[in-house]
Amino acid sequence: MSDFSNSLSVSASGLKAQAQRLRHVSENIANADTPGYRRKTVSFETEFGGPDASGRVETGRVNLDRRELEQVYDPSHPLADETGHYQGSNVDLMIEIADAREAQRSYEANLKMFDQARQMSASLMDLLRR
Amino acid sequence: MFEKIEIFRMAQAMAVHAGARQSLVAQNMANADTPGYAARDIKPFQALYEGGEASYAPRATRAGHLFGETGAITFDPLVDTNTVSDPNGNSVSLETEMLKAVDVKRQHDRALAIYKSSLGVLRSALGRR
Repeated sequence: MSDFSNSLSVSASGLKAQAQRLRHVSENIANADTPGYRRKTVSFETEFGGPDASGRVETGRVNLDRRELEQVYDPSHPLADETGHYQGSNVDLMIEIADAREAQRSYEANLKMFDQARQMSASLMDLLRR
Repeated sequence: MFEKIEIFRMAQAMAVHAGARQSLVAQNMANADTPGYAARDIKPFQALYEGGEASYAPRATRAGHLFGETGAITFDPLVDTNTVSDPNGNSVSLETEMLKAVDVKRQHDRALAIYKSSLGVLRSALGRR
């Protein structure tokens, strides 16, 4: 029985981590045109070394992408310097969409595992019925 | 008394094995995007059943024994070595895990079906049908 509850909690942690990732992806996409915005990324870590070494996944701290900001030429922009450039964001929409798709795929897989563990324990409980 | 009947013990062991494997598959899937994570698995039930008696490690068969494995069934997870890993060192393939999950579900259903039908036989032998 503890296997199932462990499985459920691990799957739930996976769902939570992927949702967190998707949240940051949507934040990046929403700020794709904000001047000076740096893309945010989260890292995933396995939670080990606990009393039962559950293997749950958790998100680490948020990192900012250190890539150079894009220089946009627009002399009429209020933030433009003497050469007519201002700093845009370093968000690449293609990367964000791919990231979002990967997060969705993993989310669905975790959801499926959650559902399966639930079904298995339900059918175990069905044994008690006549 | 009934847990000593071989078929019940086997069905129980099979269900426990399926549960343990399900837990590992869920763990692999949750860590499908964790850098440096290696996919884990346990041996299939058949291999464990056939090679089950080959372990000569000391066993604790009573509560008073100090060393050795206790009677509870334990499975030690192995790291899957023949999978290709991603550039970030992660070796989980969602497709393989999905197949394993289906396998686990079928094994669990099979074990429960065996248990249930044996229970039916036992019940009808007791004449309470």
